[in-house]
Amino acid sequence: MAVTEIKSDAVALEKAIEPSPGALLRRRVFSHMGLMIGGGILLVILAMALLAPLISPHDPYDQILDRKLIPPVWFDSPKVTWAHPLGTDQLGRDYLSRLFWGARISLLIGFAAMLISGVIGTTLGVLAGYFGGRVDMVVNFIITTRLSMPVVLVALAVVSLIGSSLTVVIWVLGLLIWDRFAVVMRSATQQVRGLDFVAAAEALGCSTWRILASEIMPNVTNHLIVVATIEMAHAILLEAALSFLGLGVQPPEPSWGLMIAEAKGLMFFEAWLITIPGTALFLLVLAINLLGDGVRDVTAPENRN
Amino acid sequence: MMRSILTGLAAAIAAVSLGVVPSYAGKSDDTLNWATDREVAVVDPYYNNTRELVIQGHMGWDGLLFRDATTGEFQPLLATKWEWKDNVTLEVDLREGVKFHDGSDFDADDVVYTVKHVSNKDNGVLTFRNVGWMKEAEKLASHKVRIHLHKPFPAALAYLSNAVFIVPSGHYDNAPNKADGKKDFGAVKPVGTGPYKMTELKAGEYILWEKHSDYFKASPKGQPTIGKIRFRTIKELNTQLAELLTGGLDWIWDVPKDQAERLQEQGQVTVENAKTMRVSYMAFDVDGDSGQKFFTDKKVRMAVAHAINREAITKNLVGPASSVIHSACHPDQFACTQDVTKWNYDPEKAKALLKEAGYPDGFEFDIYAYRQREYTEAVIGDLAKVGIKAKLTFLQYRKLRDLVWKGQTPINHMTWGSNSIPDVSAITSHFFSGGRDDPAKDDDVIKALAEGDTSTDPEARKMAYKKALAKISAELYWLPMFTYAKYYVYSKDLDFQTTPDEIPRFYSAKWN
Amino acid sequence: MLQYVLKRLGIAILVAVTVSMITFSMIYLSGDPAIALAGETATQEDIQNIRRVYGYDQPIVVQYANWLWNALQGDFGQSHYLKKPVADVIFERLPTTMLLGACALIFALVLSIPLGVVAAVRPNSLIDRIALTIAVVGQAMPSFWFALTMMLWLGIYWRLLPISGTASWANFVMPSIALGYYITPAVMRLTRAGMLEVLSSDYIRTARAKGLRPMTVLFKHALRNAIIPVVSLAAVQFGFMLGGSIVIETIFAVNGLGFLAWESIQRADLPMMQAIVLVLSFFYIILTFLADMLNAWLDPRIRVM
Repeated sequence: MAVTEIKSDAVALEKAIEPSPGALLRRRVFSHMGLMIGGGILLVILAMALLAPLISPHDPYDQILDRKLIPPVWFDSPKVTWAHPLGTDQLGRDYLSRLFWGARISLLIGFAAMLISGVIGTTLGVLAGYFGGRVDMVVNFIITTRLSMPVVLVALAVVSLIGSSLTVVIWVLGLLIWDRFAVVMRSATQQVRGLDFVAAAEALGCSTWRILASEIMPNVTNHLIVVATIEMAHAILLEAALSFLGLGVQPPEPSWGLMIAEAKGLMFFEAWLITIPGTALFLLVLAINLLGDGVRDVTAPENRN
Repeated sequence: MMRSILTGLAAAIAAVSLGVVPSYAGKSDDTLNWATDREVAVVDPYYNNTRELVIQGHMGWDGLLFRDATTGEFQPLLATKWEWKDNVTLEVDLREGVKFHDGSDFDADDVVYTVKHVSNKDNGVLTFRNVGWMKEAEKLASHKVRIHLHKPFPAALAYLSNAVFIVPSGHYDNAPNKADGKKDFGAVKPVGTGPYKMTELKAGEYILWEKHSDYFKASPKGQPTIGKIRFRTIKELNTQLAELLTGGLDWIWDVPKDQAERLQEQGQVTVENAKTMRVSYMAFDVDGDSGQKFFTDKKVRMAVAHAINREAITKNLVGPASSVIHSACHPDQFACTQDVTKWNYDPEKAKALLKEAGYPDGFEFDIYAYRQREYTEAVIGDLAKVGIKAKLTFLQYRKLRDLVWKGQTPINHMTWGSNSIPDVSAITSHFFSGGRDDPAKDDDVIKALAEGDTSTDPEARKMAYKKALAKISAELYWLPMFTYAKYYVYSKDLDFQTTPDEIPRFYSAKWN
Repeated sequence: MLQYVLKRLGIAILVAVTVSMITFSMIYLSGDPAIALAGETATQEDIQNIRRVYGYDQPIVVQYANWLWNALQGDFGQSHYLKKPVADVIFERLPTTMLLGACALIFALVLSIPLGVVAAVRPNSLIDRIALTIAVVGQAMPSFWFALTMMLWLGIYWRLLPISGTASWANFVMPSIALGYYITPAVMRLTRAGMLEVLSSDYIRTARAKGLRPMTVLFKHALRNAIIPVVSLAAVQFGFMLGGSIVIETIFAVNGLGFLAWESIQRADLPMMQAIVLVLSFFYIILTFLADMLNAWLDPRIRVM
C-alpha cells in the first residue's frame, strides 16, 4: 500500500513539474555519449590552444640542436628528461610546447576554412532554396561545377603555383570545400520555406531579407552546425594531406599536420614523433565528428540515422 | 622502435613466405636495383639534364677522356692521345676496336657527327653551356680528329670527360617529329659505347640496363661485372627505406642524417656520408630591390652572419662529410680559396650590430628557400635568438629562381651544385658576373671574374678569382654556408665506392 | 525521358566548358608561364622563343580557344618536362589508376555493404556499434598515416606483401585497401540508412506478413531498393578516388595518374596539370551523368523533375 502511494506520488510530482523544452534538450545532450565525449575532447584541445602561451614549458620555436630527438619520458632511454615530457623534435624543439601551439594552428585552419566555405556555401544554398527557379538552377550549376573539380589535386596545384603559407592554405581550402554547405542548406531551406510561418511572414509583408534572417536561418541552424563540424574536420585532414606532400603550412609554425609531415621520414625509427601529433589530430577530428553527429541526434531525434 | 623492427625483420625472414612477393632481390638474380624520387622519361645525355641521367649517361656512353673522380687526373677513354695545337684547337687520336651497343664500330665520323649535332644551337641540347664552346670537329684520319673551339676555354678537358658523350654517326637523323614539327631527339633509342646498354624503359617506373659484353678491355672505367642495373622511381623516402630493408632495393642516397644514423646503428646495411660539389649559401638583397631595405646596411648583414651557427647546422643536420665554407664556391673547386673574411658565430656581437644599425628590437623579413627545409628552419631559429624574425616562403626551384631574378627576395637561402664542374667559374662567375642571379652587381667583382674566366694561365686565374671571392665575403653579398654531404645507404652485398662529384659509378660496382 | 536526358546532357556539357575555363586559367596563377618554363640557364631570347612557340604572346581568349579546340581533338599539347604529347602520357597511366580505383571500390563495397546491412537489421547492436566506429575512425585518420602503418606491418614485419611498384597483383592489395578505406564510411552509412528506411516501409511489412523467408525479404526486396542511392554514390566516389589517389600512389610508388599529377605539380608542368585536372573532371561529369541516367531508369519518379 505504502509503496503504491509513493509511486503515484512520484508520478504526480513528475507531472507537476513537466520539463521545459530547454531542460529536455539539456537532458538529451547530457545523456548522449558521443556528444559528451566529443565535446569533452574538443574542450580540452581548445583549452590547450587558448592557454598555449601559459602552459607551454618552452618556446615552441626555440631550437637546441644538441638536444634533438629526445624521446618522451615513458621511453627507456638515458636521454629522457622531465624538462621535455614529450621529448624534442628533429631540431631540438620541445614537442609538448609544439603540440600546444600546433593546436592553435590546426584549429585556426579548420575554423577559418570552415568559416569561409560556410559563408559561401550557406549563401548559395539558402538563396537557391528560398528563391528556387532560375536562382536555384544557377546555384545548382555552380555546385555541380565545383564538385567535378578534384579537390586535392586542385588544392595542390593552386598552392604550388602561388606558393604556400597559412593564409593561402586557409583560403584555398575555404574556397574549395563549400559544396556540402550549399547542398545541405539548399534542401533545408526548401523544407523550411514550405512551412506555414514563412508563408505567414510573407503575407504580413516582411521583406525578403528579414524573412531570410529571422525565419529561415534560425530554423536551419542545426543542419548548419552539423555540416560545419564535418567541413572543419575535412579542412584539418586536407591540411594534413597537403603538409604530407610538403605544400601545407610552412615551418616553423607548428601545425599538427606539419608536425606529422616533418616526422614522417622517421616513421620507421622514431614512431612516437608521428604517433603523438597523429593521435592528437585523430582525436580532434574524431571529437569534431562526434560533436556533429551528436548535434544532429539531439536537435533532430527523428533523423537519428 | 628500432629494436622491434629488428625482431620483426628476424621473425619475417624466418616466417614462411606466402609466395606472392616477387623476388627482384639484388644479388640472387644479379640485378642492382637503385632508386631516387625522380622520374626519368628521356634516356639521352643531351636531352635530359637530371642527375639521374648524368649517372646513367656514364653507364651508357663514353666521352673522349675519363676524369678520375678522386685524383682529378684525365685518362684516355675513347681518345688515346690529345694535344692542344693552339689554344682553340685540340687534336685527338681515337681508340680502335671500340664497338657501339648496336654492333657498329667507333671511328672519327662518330665524333664529327656528335660534335656537329650538339654544337648546333638549333638542335636544342638542354645544357648548351656544356657543349656550346665547341665550334666543330674535323676528321683527319679514320681515327684522328681535330676539335675547333670558338674561343679559349680553360675547362675544355673537364667538359670533354663529363659532358660530351659520343653517339654513333647518324644517331639523331631518324628522330620522330614532335607535335610542333620539330624533331624529338630525346625519343631516339639510346646507343652508346658505354659499359651498359639500355634494354627496357618504362617512364615513371624503371629503366633497365644490361651489361655490354663487347665493352673495350682497355677502358679506365673497368669491365662491368653486375649483369643488370635497374633504376626505379620511388617518390616516398619511407617506401625507399622499406624496400631497402626488405631487399627490394640495393642502393639509395639522399637519406637524411637522422635516418642514416639509425640505419648505421642497426648495421643491416652499409651507410656512408660522402662529400658533394653542392654548397649552401644565403644571398642578401644588397640593393634593396625587394622593398625590405634591411640588408642594404652592411651592419645588418654582418649581424645575420654572426647570428647563424653554421658549425652546429653542419654537425647536427648535414653530416660529418660537410664543412662550413667562407668563400662563395666549393673548396674542392679550382681557385676556391678560403683565405677570405670569416664571420664566426657570435650572437652577442650580432645583437650589438643590430643595435648599432638602429634595430635594437630586431625586425621581421621574408626568407625564401627551396631545398632541405630543416636547414632553413635552423637558420630561422638562430635568427630568432638575436631578435630577427624570418618568415619562410618555401617554393619550388623554378618559382624561386624567377623571384630571385626579379630581385624580390630579401634573403634567399639556396644551393648550387656547379653541375659537378670542379672549377670556380661554374659557380662564382655564374652568380657574380652581373647577371640576373647577381645580388650585388659589383664592378670590381665582375671585372676580376671576367679576367679569371678568359685567362689560360692557372696562376693568373687564381689571383683574379681570389680578388673577387675576397670582396664578396668581405662585403657579405653572400653568406657562404656549408658544403653539402650526402648519405648513401646500400646493401651489404654491394661493393660500391662513393665519389665526391655526386655521380655514383654503378658500372664499376661489384657483388661482395 | 528523352527531355530529361537532353536536359542533363546540356548541363553536363555546360559544366565541362566551365571547368575547362577554370582549368585553363591555372596557367596565369604562376605569373609569366614562359619564365617558369625556361631552363636553368635560359636567356631573355630563350624566353621570348618559348613565349612564341607556346603561344603565350597571343590574347588569352585566343589561347583558350586554341587550347580547347586542340583538347577536344585529344591534343593537350606537349609536356614541358617529359617532352611527349600530354595525351599519350595520360592514357598510358590512366589504366593503372583505373585498376587501382576499381580494386579500391570493390574493397570498399565488399566491406561496407554487408556491414551496413547488418547494422540496419540489428540497430544499436554490437555490430552496429563496430560499424559506426569503423566509420568514425575511418573519417578521422589521415590517409598517409594509415598507409604507412599498413606498409610497416604487412610489408616489413610480416613480409606478406610487396611494398611498392605494380609488378604483380599483390602490389595492388595495400594501395587498394588504403584508398578504399576512405570511402567505406560514406557507403556504409548510406547503406544503413537506406536499409532502415526500406525495412520500415509498407511493402516489406507486407512481404513479411505474407510469410516470405527473412533472407528473401532482406536481399530480394529490401537490399535491391536500398542499393539505388549507393550505386550513384559509388559512381561519384569512383571519380573522386581517381583524384584522391595522389597520396596513396605516391606512397606505394604506383605509376598512375595521381602520381603523374603530383610529379607534374612539382615540376610545374602546366599542360600536364591542366590536362589531368580536365580529364578527371570530365570523368566525374560523365560518371555523374551516367549515375543520373541509371537512377532515372530505376526510379521513374525522378524523370519528371
